[in-house]
Amino acid sequence: MAAEAKKTTGDLSEKLRTQKLRTTIAAVVFVVMAAGLILGVSTGTMSGFGWESISALCPLGALGTMIATKTMVPRAVVSLVIMALLIFLVGRAFCAWLCPSMLITRLRDYLRTPAKRRELAAANHDKMVDIAKYEIAESKAAAQSLSAPSRHPERSEGSSAAQPLTADEKKALTGCSSSGCATCSSCKQPHAALDSRHYVLGGALLSTAIFGFPVFCLVCPVGLTFATVLVVWRLFAAGDMTIAVILVPALLIIELVFLRKWCTRFCPLSALMNLVGRFSKTFVPVIDDSKCLETSQGVPCSRCAQVCECDINIRHIDYGERTLADCSRCRNCADVCPTKAITFPVFAGAKAKAKTGINADEPAVVMIDEEALEVPSA
Amino acid sequence: MADKKEEKREKEPMSVSRRSLLIGVGSTAALLGLGAMRYAGHTPLNRPPGGQDEAHLVSACIRCERCYEACPRKVIVPAKIEDGLLGMRSPMLDFETEYCDFCQAENGGVPKCVEVCPTEALVLPAGATAESTIIGRAVIDTSTCLAYRDTGCRECYDACPYGAIELTDVSINPHPYVIEDKCNGCGACEFSCVSMKAGSLATTGAKRRAIIVEPISAYN
Repeated sequence: MAAEAKKTTGDLSEKLRTQKLRTTIAAVVFVVMAAGLILGVSTGTMSGFGWESISALCPLGALGTMIATKTMVPRAVVSLVIMALLIFLVGRAFCAWLCPSMLITRLRDYLRTPAKRRELAAANHDKMVDIAKYEIAESKAAAQSLSAPSRHPERSEGSSAAQPLTADEKKALTGCSSSGCATCSSCKQPHAALDSRHYVLGGALLSTAIFGFPVFCLVCPVGLTFATVLVVWRLFAAGDMTIAVILVPALLIIELVFLRKWCTRFCPLSALMNLVGRFSKTFVPVIDDSKCLETSQGVPCSRCAQVCECDINIRHIDYGERTLADCSRCRNCADVCPTKAITFPVFAGAKAKAKTGINADEPAVVMIDEEALEVPSA
Repeated sequence: MADKKEEKREKEPMSVSRRSLLIGVGSTAALLGLGAMRYAGHTPLNRPPGGQDEAHLVSACIRCERCYEACPRKVIVPAKIEDGLLGMRSPMLDFETEYCDFCQAENGGVPKCVEVCPTEALVLPAGATAESTIIGRAVIDTSTCLAYRDTGCRECYDACPYGAIELTDVSINPHPYVIEDKCNGCGACEFSCVSMKAGSLATTGAKRRAIIVEPISAYN
């Protein structure tokens, strides 16, 4: 099947080229803004980025300040419109390309012991590959049952024909090793229109409305990152000792390290971006089914799902915690795809149609990367 | 924050909707708790020009830190948590190392902090001048003031740009006093006060300078 076996490293992180670029961009932007804060160059922070009297406000801050003061602030309204347009264009790209929380998360991952990192990667790998195996078996079964009527006309009726394997058989067949689930289909995630982040967003705005000040701004990890810069700088430059030197970084660590999956489950900014991002049709990842290992050859791979920073399972959407509404255009999936089947076209709809139309029944010429089939070597 | 942490302890078997609900309820409770800090208040602070309506400032400030950046004299600093959780990281004036001249030299009398504030937390009424914007009021502690110990010190008198400090003519060593109607709390006197400089007042155990600006909310 494979043209040639490459050296198996099993470490997907080596392939994440865009991640290095993104991390660099975010780090440079952060350093420039932090330096501006210290030196008094009017660059603003991410909460209010701009020059002199021109500012692009954080959309949540803009909402918060207007709700708290019950007035329309022109700069806040303009900022909200600009942000909405940007999010409509590139979804949650801020999260992957600029957010300082991303840098801290990266640092957290970097500080993990290699053993822990391998353990997490292996668990993630097993889970995603199990889902892939199960889904491939499912689709084969469905294909069989579709062709069944011609060969066995007498079995053409009844839904039992569509399920030739019982759940137990399938489990045995696919070797699902994830604990605690009857079948992989129980791992399917319900995708409600609103999720936990939206509740956090609602809570933040409710508290803002009741108590009349932008409550979330006090604990926003983006703001706290810049606050850390400021308090630490003032500690050394002005000898300004305050509990905040300890408290601000501590809050950051609680949010980004102890509250696992802050971005996917808690962040109200992410919730706000999701509300607009779900309508975005530009630069959304598209899988070319004629190249994808799973659809073209029935080989369980799901590397794209293993590396997604937004907990999206792009191949098997139903199994991911989030949907493409949350895509941050981080390009991890495209970078690790062994057959380069994932692209980020300007208009997702057009490209997807073109691809399936032209290549659907062409035998795929695929370059397979053997690593796709390997468990990360421990 | 604490309750948010606890619910995460529970492991995988929790259903997605249950988890969402717990996260939502926990976080909302935490954020409402944080919001209730409003009633805890904080110690009065000297606010930058345009921030004299304390309730409005607290409502509108999103802690974007643009005013610290814009201040050419670096007299705006983030309020400390010790002054109250609610005011933490909100802008206040620190006259230890500089005073506020309303950007007279730097921006023709239009405070830059007011200019850059994107949420209008710092906002001046039309036609506001340095004289009409009362940040606070200078108060002299006569027990630690060097002039009141007949040293002949008149640093604050010399520093005041608004003629708000006058000297008694009782002796060869006159004592300064504040003309309250003329003082706008710019901090020039506090900035120039030498009472805490090393060696000059080692014996009194004073914690702050002999002339300080008291925030308007402290006496209004």
